[in-house]
Amino acid sequence: MNFFYLAGQYFVFLRRVFAKPEKQKLYLRNILTELWNLGVGSLGIVVIISAFIGAVITLQTAYNVTSPLFPLFLIGLGTRDSMILEFSSTIVSLILAGKVGSSIAGEIGTMRVTEQIDALEIMGVNSASFLIMPKIVAMVLIAPVLNILSVFIGIFGGFLTIEATAVIPTEDFLYGLTVEFIPFYVTYSLIKSVVFSFIITSVSSFQGYYVKGGSLEVGRAGTRAVVYSSILILIFNLILTQLLLA
Amino acid sequence: MIEVRNINKSFNNVPALKDISCVFHPGEVNLVIGRSGSGKTVLLKTIVGLHHPDSGDILFNGRNFVTMTNYERQHIRREIGMLFQGGALFDWATVEENVRFPLDFFTNWTKLEKNQRVEFCLERVNLSHAAKLKPSEISGGMQKRVAIARAIALNPKYLFCDEPNSGLDPQTATVIDDLILEITKEYNITTVVNTHDLNSVLAVGERIVFIYQGEKWWEGNRESILQAHNAELREYLYASEVLKKSGLLK
Ligand SMILES: Nc1ncnc2c1ncn2[C@@H]1O[C@H](COP(=O)(O)OP(=O)(O)O)[C@@H](O)[C@H]1O
Ligand SMILES: [Mg+2]
Repeated sequence: MNFFYLAGQYFVFLRRVFAKPEKQKLYLRNILTELWNLGVGSLGIVVIISAFIGAVITLQTAYNVTSPLFPLFLIGLGTRDSMILEFSSTIVSLILAGKVGSSIAGEIGTMRVTEQIDALEIMGVNSASFLIMPKIVAMVLIAPVLNILSVFIGIFGGFLTIEATAVIPTEDFLYGLTVEFIPFYVTYSLIKSVVFSFIITSVSSFQGYYVKGGSLEVGRAGTRAVVYSSILILIFNLILTQLLLA
Repeated sequence: MIEVRNINKSFNNVPALKDISCVFHPGEVNLVIGRSGSGKTVLLKTIVGLHHPDSGDILFNGRNFVTMTNYERQHIRREIGMLFQGGALFDWATVEENVRFPLDFFTNWTKLEKNQRVEFCLERVNLSHAAKLKPSEISGGMQKRVAIARAIALNPKYLFCDEPNSGLDPQTATVIDDLILEITKEYNITTVVNTHDLNSVLAVGERIVFIYQGEKWWEGNRESILQAHNAELREYLYASEVLKKSGLLK
């Protein structure tokens, strides 16, 4: 389909999603539910992946250091900055695009084909806003928390492997974690997480909301949701990095 | 009363409704019949505003639904109850919460008032015992009844039902038909029912519109339909073995 048509439709959709809610109490309740669903639901995968990747980054750097001139504390520093700069924001978001994106598109798409969305509209409820705004708000709120958590778990994973393998002295690793810390990296990382989580939730809901047909199309919408949000995340990663770090 | 005047509606230049006009009265079950794909659902969805007609007017007690602002339209929507073909129950909520939903959204009633109304509506469709179940845990016929309870929660002036007994066995279908008829009489609702079920036609069809390929082909009631001379309508009726064998068709 025509790119400009799709983009236009997306922005019209967003305007409906962020229309002023009528029954704020119901929206608040939905935001809390989604915070639980999306937040707690994503916790497990973020923890597991961060721990393993943190551990592997640490080991790879450590085993690649052959020069005796290389200061060993750089290994801790490297783990810390890799997690903050790229892993806990971009990679975690790409993984969440797969997990959260397909589930949102599937959920909203199913509501579309089973006429639940029509039922809301008939009652006079703004279905786009009622169903989707709480998801976007919840995910945007929870993303920075997941990001910070991922950084700490990743570093902890690195720490554990250092302890277990003793490839370098633990003191060097711990020292590296504190050295040359640039606070703005954290801001940069959090901004990315917020933008990416907005992309994931809005793009996936958009795909689900305009499903036509049956279960086959709902499945396709799920795939499109993951592909489109992933591509947009990669593009915005580039743009934001150029804007914020240049 | 609902007046539909010269409605046209096309999808991608393929006409789905052609110059349809009809009048639906309060306290009556108005049937829209026709073969699958003839445009019944499109007509219903156009009347309630889920599709925008290409031309024509739709008047709800004299108020033109087509030309009014979105804000005014919301107001009329709250007077509309609709029963979708698949029930369209909210699958995230229990039976009870489904019926309560419109009350939560559109009234400022107290908890007690809402509870009473929910109880009343579920009682009306004989489902008080299923209040705590999820839609996925009840049968198709029960889902339709919950959908009816939800549709009448806010005391609608207008009730629309899209194939209310599709996918149901004949006995359950009769229960649903009777329920719709009773509720229509009790609350003097203007009810419009899409169906291709000839049992319903003979049971509740006080006023019948036959649609053929997007056009209104015939109009009458359940008495006159059996004597109708319209060729397409007779062909449609003759598809029913029961009707043919019964010797009712003249
Ligand atoms: N949203 C839509 N987009 C395109 N064509 C549609 C749409 N809805 C219905 N149609 C077409 O309109 C015609 C009438 O459909 P419908 O009203 O669903 O028939 P039925 O009488 O079985 O309810 C069909 O040919 C259908 O393909
Ligand atoms: Mg239909």
